Amino acid sequence: MFTLISSLSKSFSYCGENALRSIRMSIKNLASLSRDEVKNLFSSIDTILTDCDGVLWLHMKILPGAPDVLNKFREMGKRVFYITNNNVITREEFCVKCDKLGFTSTKDDVLTTSYLTACYLHDIGFKKKVYVVGTSGISRELSRLGIRSFGVGPDPLISDVATLVMKDFKLDPDVGAVIVGFDEYISYPKILKAASYLNHPDCLFIATNTDERGPSFINDCVIPGTGSMVAAIETCAGRKPFLIGKPSTYIIDAIRKRYNVDPERTLMIGDRCNTDILLGTRCGFKTLLVLSGVNTLDDVMNWKQSDNEEDRGLVPDYYIGKLGDLLPLLT
Amino acid sequence: MGKRVFYVTNNSSKTRDEIVSKCSRLGYPATRDNILSTAYLTACYLQDIVFKKKVYVVGSKGITQELDAAGIKHLDVGPDPMCSDVASLLRNEVQLDKDVGAVVVGFDEHFSFPKMVKAATYLKQPNCIFIGTNTDEILPTEFPLTVPGTGTFVRAMETCTNRKAFKIGKPSPYVCEAIIKRHKVDPKKTLMIGDRCNTDILFGTRCGFKTLLVLTGVTTLGEVHQLEKSSNKEDQELVPDYYIDRLGDMLPLIS
Repeated sequence: MFTLISSLSKSFSYCGENALRSIRMSIKNLASLSRDEVKNLFSSIDTILTDCDGVLWLHMKILPGAPDVLNKFREMGKRVFYITNNNVITREEFCVKCDKLGFTSTKDDVLTTSYLTACYLHDIGFKKKVYVVGTSGISRELSRLGIRSFGVGPDPLISDVATLVMKDFKLDPDVGAVIVGFDEYISYPKILKAASYLNHPDCLFIATNTDERGPSFINDCVIPGTGSMVAAIETCAGRKPFLIGKPSTYIIDAIRKRYNVDPERTLMIGDRCNTDILLGTRCGFKTLLVLSGVNTLDDVMNWKQSDNEEDRGLVPDYYIGKLGDLLPLLT
Repeated sequence: MGKRVFYVTNNSSKTRDEIVSKCSRLGYPATRDNILSTAYLTACYLQDIVFKKKVYVVGSKGITQELDAAGIKHLDVGPDPMCSDVASLLRNEVQLDKDVGAVVVGFDEHFSFPKMVKAATYLKQPNCIFIGTNTDEILPTEFPLTVPGTGTFVRAMETCTNRKAFKIGKPSPYVCEAIIKRHKVDPKKTLMIGDRCNTDILFGTRCGFKTLLVLTGVTTLGEVHQLEKSSNKEDQELVPDYYIDRLGDMLPLIS
């Protein structure tokens, strides 16, 4: 039995043409498929997009078997991209991290939101200056593409708010965009400056991603994510940003401008349904959820039964315990 | 005319005494008892629920001094900047106080990532109370800049904790309860005067007060007319009963 529902991605640039997407009522456990079924699935795939934290590694510990599976994909002639909402490092630094964990990569395989943000501004022919509430992960990627920016680093309140407003801060007229990414130096002056630039309707407002928190791995502390910095600025600016990272479909626009990728022959692998799987659904990819990260099978079953159409976009085509479990099925 | 006057403000950075001083300087007679500020009302709320633990405050001395006056223990406020990097912060520098049972988020010009980490980590415990003094997104200014209000910090913390704060200030019902209970006010014989529809007028409507909008502040008449035309029921609650250009214009009408 199949249920036809209209695409959840009406407003997204690529997916507009795909009016209908059929959702299988049964989500398949990849590990329970026969080798032939797995072979058939992968022969219909040319490109694999994989999320990183929760799929390949968890808090800097490799998930067993993951490097071998990616190597196997490459052996099979598949193009593999690492997709991450991380925006505090450049692609090269990300490759170094991958390498330490045993994953092969070159910078062309890596799609960080810092890099994609620079791509976006480049693609729209942006020529002005950018005020960045974020790290040098963003400013360095911008600079590589010839885009001027400022704002990275500490900017604490020195005197008081009245003095900041009356004397200390003057708007730079050449600013044409505000980018908000993860910023450990978030401060009142930065929020004020960002929101003040955003007062001008033609100043672009871009958010790298909206993850509410990072994985908490030290002393059980909650790590506020980019989403909380974006929420602060959205609130006082009274505007919503253009979102670069998952689940926004800008990623597929960026990929298709640069590489020859067919969404119908693309597999998205992730551990978080409301970013990874949703991105895949919106772009018309096949989707595989690994249960080694954020979401559980119970979460998925709840969404499958939900009356809310949007929830059903969170349901993957396939699931598996962890990526490494694929290895015996591919060899 | 024998009317009781209360000053109701969402300002959480000042104590009632400081507001009294400011009012007096500007020619408005006031005593502590007719000031209803969110720092004071936050302390009232914690007293009402018989709170005995400690409070982690993301805010100013306005809040901590009112907590002191109510005998409620709290951690210090002020700058708490990043000294090293995220990993070191989490590994070494975040020392949580086991006696904290509430987080209060008010206006904090020293808002920082370390404060966010601490507040969010305290709020991981479901029985840690989460209070936001108010949700005003911006502060009015004549400068061509946007001055972020407390709502900015409250939204940031709601996002990373995935929890909703209990709101003290207008338009939340707590202010209504506090006024009606503590000062024995009859809503039907009460007038709310304000400049912002989504706090002052909404608050007045919800309390069953009559409402008067002055046009010297945030909301414009154009915005009011738009709200009037709106088919959204919630927008109707923001429409005042009366409006006037400025409060002073009433004088000839009432003398």
